[in-house]
Parts: sequence; structure tokens; C-alpha cells
Amino acid sequence: MSRGIPTPGSDSGRETEPLATSAPFGADLLTDLFVNPLDPGYADAADHKRRRGGPSSSGRLFGRLATAVALAFFGLLLSVAYQHMAAGAPGAERARTSLVREVTGARAESESLERRAARLRDQVALERDRVLGGGAEADRLRDLEAGTGLAGVSGPGMSVRLTDGPPEVDPVSGEPTGEDLGRVLDRDLQRVVNALWAAKAEAIAVNGQRLSTVSTIRGAGEAVLVDFTPVTSPYVVQAIGPPGMARRFESSRTAEQLRWLRDKYQMGVAVLEQDRIVLPAAPQPRLRYARPPEHTASPSPTGSGR
Amino acid sequence: MIAVLALLGGVILGVVLHPTVPVALQPYLPIAVVAALDAVFGGIRARLDGIFDDKQFVISFVSNVLVAALIVYLGDQLGVGGQLSTGVVVVLGVRIFGNVAGIRRHLFRA
Repeated sequence: MSRGIPTPGSDSGRETEPLATSAPFGADLLTDLFVNPLDPGYADAADHKRRRGGPSSSGRLFGRLATAVALAFFGLLLSVAYQHMAAGAPGAERARTSLVREVTGARAESESLERRAARLRDQVALERDRVLGGGAEADRLRDLEAGTGLAGVSGPGMSVRLTDGPPEVDPVSGEPTGEDLGRVLDRDLQRVVNALWAAKAEAIAVNGQRLSTVSTIRGAGEAVLVDFTPVTSPYVVQAIGPPGMARRFESSRTAEQLRWLRDKYQMGVAVLEQDRIVLPAAPQPRLRYARPPEHTASPSPTGSGR
Repeated sequence: MIAVLALLGGVILGVVLHPTVPVALQPYLPIAVVAALDAVFGGIRARLDGIFDDKQFVISFVSNVLVAALIVYLGDQLGVGGQLSTGVVVVLGVRIFGNVAGIRRHLFRA
């Protein structure tokens, strides 16, 4: 066991001698590097020259030229590296802006498509009314559409405006602690919407996004998504409903909770009654599993009349 | 004198021509610059020491750049490119500092 690993004490004579004579890069490579940074080649070349005399004049000229070329290359390298760095520094920023542009473009396109869909839907409704002859059937259809969110509606109502509270600030360092307790969460919006439904609201929209029967409000990281469309603070929940709605909402548990959040975390909460609110139609729900009943002969929408 | 002119010429050439570096070579650019810097400072010190040699300088310059790039390339292939380039920068940085100390001793006698 003691033979395998020579310890400094035991075999020191045999260990150190070859190191000192033949191996310049021994354990002291780093020390050597610090003490003697110059290439030993220069000293060797100088020695060589002293012993053998300098190179011929043509050789010297060639050497000069090579040095000049090397230095020119060095200068080129420097300027290219500098330019590269200068161009590369905002690379991340550029990638970000291009992504942002893409997102804004896609969003604008989606909005214009939505507008077009709404226009076409209006047209379809108009045509249908014309075909049906504006009877009781057509009225019923329109009522149903308004109720399910498939048609724009207007009427008296109220709005609840929620804004993010100021970010929590560390009292010692004065820097944000990172946990925004005053931030409006998807849960808060869900509660407000549910409380409004409970307060007999007939149509609700969040930041102009009309809610239908299959609408979702959920959080994705920092963002709140309403039907997969991100909405940001201030969040305005508008609801059309009977006159007593605002009072009923104010006396609900949700309103109590909001007041508590406002007092404790400075979340902005404002309830406003409005005489006239216009809400757009919700996007057509994509039903994947639910199918209309086979027999559409029965006019009953529930199909239970059979 | 010729050296300084050549250096300036190279810089101007770079500014004027604005050559584009192939993407594959871009990671090696900073390392190549540091390696070249080491060779240049070594050359300056040797000149001040009076033992400058053209052949020695050119060979050390070229080999420095190539070896530094090779090490980083190998590191990249092995998945330790960042660490190896740090090592190369440290070693070359130490050498540059040593050479600059030598130059300083020559110029200021301090």
C-alpha cells in the first residue's frame, strides 16, 4: 500500500531529482507561469542568434513582413471583435422586439378576424330573421343568443374596476420583495364574476371579453387569461342586470373580501353603476363533445319535450 | 514604427471592409483576441528586452490564436466549453499581466 503512492517523506530523493532536472512543467507550472511569463522562445532565439549570427537580410525582411502581417491581422481581429460585440450586445433585445412585434401582429390579426366574425354573425342573424319572417320564433332565437352570449347586448348595469395594488416593498432596503399580495389574481376575477351572476347579472364582460356559458378565467404565470386572451390591469368587469344588482353585489361576501384586500394591500376596487352598457358578443364556443340532439323537430332547446 | 502602422492598417481594414464572421467561428473570436493580445504583449516585452525575434513573434502569434481556438473547440465538443475558455482566459491573462509588468519595469523603471 505504501508502495503505490509515494509520500513526500519516504521517497523524496527519487521523486524530486528528475523533476528538478528534466521536467520544467512539474508541480510548479503555475508558479513558473507567474514568475516567468515571457515565452522562453525569445531568449532561445536570442541565444541562437548570438551564436550563429543573425539571419540574412532577405530573411530579416521576410520576418519583418510576417510581423507586420501578423500585427495587421491582430488589428483586424480587434476591430472585428469590437464590431461583433457592439452588434451582438443588443441581440437579445432585438430578438425580444421582433417577438413582441410578432405577438402584436398576431393579436391584431386575431382581433380583426374576431371583428369580421362578429360582422358575419350579425349578417347571418339578419338573414335568418328575414327568412323566419320576424315571428315569435325569431324573437326567441334572438333572446337565446343574447342570453348565451352569442349576440351583443346593451342595457343598464354596473362595472367593477380592479387594479393591481402597489408591489410590496421591503421596509429595510426599499426594494420590491417580489410577492405582490395586492395583485389581482384570476381567482379574484372569478369571484367577482360569480358574485355578479349571483346578483342576477344577465351578461358579463371582462375587459370587453364577453363571457359565455363555457368561458374560462384562469391564471397563466403573471397573466390572467379570459377565454385564452390575456387581460391586464385595470380589469373592468361590466355586467348588465336589474337595478338592484349593484346593491346586491356590494352586500356579497366577494365585495367584503375585495374591501378587505383594498384596505390591507391597496388593491384598487371601484364599483360603478351605469345607465347603459354595450357588451359585444362572445366568440363562438367551440363545442367538442356536446352535440345538438338528433331530432331537431322539437322546438324545445332542451330536447326534453319528446 | 512599421508594427504600429501595420496595426493601424489592420484596424482601418476591419472598419472599412466590415467583414462578417461566420457563425461557426463567432464563439472563438473573443478567445482569439485574448490569445493574440498575449502574443503581442510578449512581443513588446521582448522588443524592450532587446531579444525580439520576428519568426518567434509570428509563430507564437499564430499558434496562440490557433491553440486557444482549438482548446475552446474541444471544450465545446466535450461540453465544458465555458469552463475551458475561462481557464484559457485566466492563463493568458496571467501571462499578459506578467508581460505588462515587464514592459512597465522597462518604461518606468518601477
